[in-house]
Parts: sequence; C-alpha cells; structure tokens
Amino acid sequence: MLFPTLAFGVFFLFVYFTAWSLDRDNGRRKLFLLLASWFFYAQWDWRFVALLIASAVLNWGVAALIARSDEQSRRKWLVGLGVAANLLILGFFKYYGFFVEQAGDLLTRFGWERDLPLLQIVLPVGISFFTFQGISYVVDVHRRKTPVARSLLDVMLLMSFFPHLVAGPIVRASDLLPQFDRAPRLTREMATHGLLLICWGLFKKTVIASELSVRLVDPVFFDPAAYGTLDLMAAVYGYAVQIYCDFSAYSDMAIGIAALLGYSFPRNFDQPYRASSMQDFWRRWHISLSSWLRDYLYVPLGGGKKGLIRSCLNVFITMLLGGLWHGAAWTFVAWGALHGGVQVVERLGRAALGDRKGPPAWLGVLVTFHIVCLGWILFRAETFPMAMEVLTGLGRFEAATLVTPFLLTLIVGGLAMHWLPPRAAEGIATWLKPAPSLTMALLLGAAILLVEAVRPDGVAPFIYFQF
Amino acid sequence: MNDHPDHPDHPDDPEIPLAPFPTALPASPFPPLEGEAAEPYLDDAVEEVRQDPPSDWIETADAHDLTTAQEPVNPLLALGRFAFPPGEPPDEEGVAARDRRWTSRIIVLATVFLLIFNAVSIQNWSRQQAPGWVTTTVRRMADVWAEQIAQLGADQPRQTVRDGYEAARDAEWAGRRRP
Repeated sequence: MLFPTLAFGVFFLFVYFTAWSLDRDNGRRKLFLLLASWFFYAQWDWRFVALLIASAVLNWGVAALIARSDEQSRRKWLVGLGVAANLLILGFFKYYGFFVEQAGDLLTRFGWERDLPLLQIVLPVGISFFTFQGISYVVDVHRRKTPVARSLLDVMLLMSFFPHLVAGPIVRASDLLPQFDRAPRLTREMATHGLLLICWGLFKKTVIASELSVRLVDPVFFDPAAYGTLDLMAAVYGYAVQIYCDFSAYSDMAIGIAALLGYSFPRNFDQPYRASSMQDFWRRWHISLSSWLRDYLYVPLGGGKKGLIRSCLNVFITMLLGGLWHGAAWTFVAWGALHGGVQVVERLGRAALGDRKGPPAWLGVLVTFHIVCLGWILFRAETFPMAMEVLTGLGRFEAATLVTPFLLTLIVGGLAMHWLPPRAAEGIATWLKPAPSLTMALLLGAAILLVEAVRPDGVAPFIYFQF
Repeated sequence: MNDHPDHPDHPDDPEIPLAPFPTALPASPFPPLEGEAAEPYLDDAVEEVRQDPPSDWIETADAHDLTTAQEPVNPLLALGRFAFPPGEPPDEEGVAARDRRWTSRIIVLATVFLLIFNAVSIQNWSRQQAPGWVTTTVRRMADVWAEQIAQLGADQPRQTVRDGYEAARDAEWAGRRRP
C-alpha cells in the first residue's frame, strides 16, 4: 500500500478518525495504531509481520535486561548481543545472497569451487529502517541516553508505526517514546504543516519524480549506449532531481501523516543540493541516516578525537558501510567510497588551509553537486559496466532526442526548489493556520485535485523501499 | 442632625452620586476599550476596611454550625456595561479538541470536494484492481458516480487542467517534430 494511492487514502481516513476517537485512552489508541501498522505492513507480505514482531520483542527484551543490570561488563555483553542479533537479521535477509555469491566467485578464482547454499530470500520491505531503529534503541538504553520503554507495546509501536515503517525517517526511541507516554495533542500548526507536507510530497512524487523516471531516466539508463551527451547529462541531472523528489516526498508525507495523528518526526532533508561540501551534503540529505551513522558508527570508531588521519579513516569506513546499507551490490559500495573519499580530501584540504580562506561558496556548491551526480550514476546503474557506459557516453556528442521543454522545466524546477527560503513550508503553515476550516478544505481539495489531474496513471514504488 | 456630607439627607450635594447608581463597581471582566481609561471611577472608590467583628467564639459550637455572612452582590451591577458575563477561556484540553475538530472538518470537506470533482480517480483506481467482490462493487459504483457527476459538469475543472498539462508535456522544441 503506497502513500499516493486511493487505497492508502481510505486506510488513513479510517485510522485518523478511529485513533482520535480513542484519544481518552492512550493505551487503546496505541494498540489500535499498532494493529493498523501491522495491517499496513501485511499488504506487502503478511509473513513479515512476524519478523517485525520478533525484532521488536528481541530489542525490548535486551533493553529491559540492560536496564536491570548494574554491572558494566554485563551491560556491554548484552548490548553487543542485541546489536549482533539485529545485524544478523539484516545480514540474513539483505546480504546473505550477495555474500554467498561473492564467496563462490572467490573460491572459484582460487580453484576451490564449491556448491554453496544459495537461497532465494525475499527482502522484507523497510528491514534496514526498522533494524537500525532497534539498534539505536538498545544502544541508547545502554548509554543511558533514553529510559527503557514502559511496555512492549511502546517498543512494538516504535518499530512498526506505519508512517515511518518502510522508508524512514529513522525515528529514534528518544524521539518517539516520550510522545507515546501521553495521549497526543493535535494543534492547528501541526495539522496545517502536515497537510501542506502531504500535498507537497504528493506533487514531488507523483508528478516530478514519476514523469522524470518514465520519460527520461529509465529509458536512458536501460540502454545508455543509444544516447549522446545531452540526453545522458539530462538523465543524470534528471535522476538527481528524481531521487530527491522521490525520497524527500516519502519523508514529507510520513512526517505529515504522523503530524495528523499527533506525533512529531524529525526532519530528513534540508535542501541538499545547495550544500557547499560533501560534509555539508550529508547534513542535509537523509539526515536521520547520516546522524544515525555518526552516533552509532563514526563515534564508536573513535570519531574525530584520535587525530586527523584516524578521523579520515573513520569517516571513510562510515561512508563505505553507509553505501553497503543502501544495497547488496558493489556499485553501492563504490558510491559510499566516493562520498567517503571526497570527505577525506575535504578534511585534508581544510587541515592544509588552516585559517586561510577556502574557495568561494558558489564554487563549492557547483563542485559538490557534480560529485553527487557522479555518485548517482553509480547508485542508479545496475552494474559497473553500465555505469562506465554512461560515463563514456557523456563524451559522445549527439543531439538530444528525449529532452523536451517539459522535462527541462521539471529538472530546472526540481533544482530551483533548493533555493526556496529555508523552512518555507513552516512559514506557509503559520500563515495559513488562522484560516477557517472551509477555506482550508477548499485549498486542500484544490491542491490534491491539481496533482490528481496531472499525475500519470498508477504510481511506481518509492526508490528507498528496496533498501 | 447629622452634618456628614455623605449623609442621604444632603441629596443636592454634587459630590454624592444619586441612588441607585453605584459608587464603586467591581472591576469589569473585560479589558478597557482602546482609548478608554480603565474604569476611572474605581480609582476614586475607597475600599472600606472593615473591622473584625467582636469575637463570637463559642467553645461548645462546631465551626460548621456558624453562619457565614456574605455581602450580597447585585449580579446586574457586577456586569457593568456588559449584557452577559464572558465565558471561561477554554483550557488546554478544550483548545486541543477545537483544533482537532477544525482538522477533521477540513479532512471531511476536502474528501467531499474530491468525491465530486475527482470522481474519475476512483474509477481509474477501481479499474486497476484485481477483480473481486469488493473491487467489482466499488468499480460499478464508481462508474455510476463518475457518470452522474459528469452530467453536472463537475469533471470539467479536472479535464481542463489535464488537457493543458498534456499539451505542455507533449510540446517539442521549435523546429523539431515529435518522433
């Protein structure tokens, strides 16, 4: 069940009115939201609901044992066990096939060919997201950053809550558990902001991302050899806009849907293509993942406290594993290595420059954007040869065949939206807040009607569902 | 005779307001209007300081048996210039309930708006579903509804936007023909 579908609309209307009718009893409200979340998840595959429940029980149990234990060595042992169990679940479902295949290739290369047990494992939707949430909960309880959840229900709802379940943002226990403690309140500000984000997300996904995907990016990346410089460049820029509009649309809608149910999620995007360095890019792109990687990988590795070289190594390892998190393929690892490598160069450059002035900000934005686009080629191409075909094709000058004024407008518009005033949605929400309900309803209805009128029939799954 | 100037035997004294007008009104519950002084006559009113009454302590009596005397307040006088007392301001829960109702009204009205002006979307969606009892029922209802709504012309705004969008989408660069 995808957000921009009628089926989800009907589901959400039912959840919204039922949840608010239960607001006098927070426990029953949470139970209802949990059942609704399981129903939502079961629309993909009901068997994975059991995995979700097992994962929640595991994290709840380990966290409870950690909280009860005063002995430091026992707490450390327990947190290690919890993290390992989570990684085992993720590793089995997401990376088993990849690693067995790589091991088979390696053995063949050394002449020790074996029949390794290959399994056709279906990847549960959103497993990377709820596993990372589980790890953050266990580690935060161990670090005493968050108190242990009051009940198993809270942990289950934390991990299963349908707005963030399949593609984030990664909402940590410290963000959501305190909100579960009391019946939530819905303010006009939250409602206006939520409705605005839903409309904006709907537009970005169903119009910009869908049109760019169907009319430009998919045909070009399917057969890059058939296109010349202009089409390939447009496809690369188009993919940069598509992936931003696709993923940020999901996050916007998730935040908006949660807001209408009375819960607040952290922001996940902050105009990423206006970043003036790769470090800046990761402060603006998928913020919940980058902050997760910082707190649970980069910092435990030693962070920036052990000298320049060690900090460079740490950031490189972090980005490499971040790349692998996105998918079990070497192209994702290379994508992570590119981002990590550029950040290492930036750190060394900053250290060499010292107090001297660096390059102008506009140059930083331009260079960073093009490095990010280079990374998107690796991210989008299914294999290395295909990525190389795109790169070599960029030097083959031919007239554009796919690019139309409409597609160019979408690309330019998708990039231009990064130069809107920061927090524009919040500003508009504050401005609209005092409007009467009838005016707001007409505005909302007209906005959705406009999007519905121009969107293509059907909707492709969100790109980040596969992660 | 009593020579005190406040005595009712001196009705002509301009300093003494005539009954039944009060000499001291309780503070109005409303803030003063713009440019209006805040109840100036109240400044002049001297609050009477009453002496403690002589002790009526009775050792054997229970405190609850004693009557409590209250100064009768004329409710009409307490209103001052206003017709009725203002309601209590809503508490936090009241504000939250009001905001929730406001949001729910928006959602319901927008849904009705879309049911009327976007009926064709339900039709399109129902046609994409696998056949079954529910989806077939929904599809038939959606077909009838879209047809009836189209007779009223409610499908025109959507269609106009769609036509304009398709024209813009299919436009080519000047001098280039569509392959």
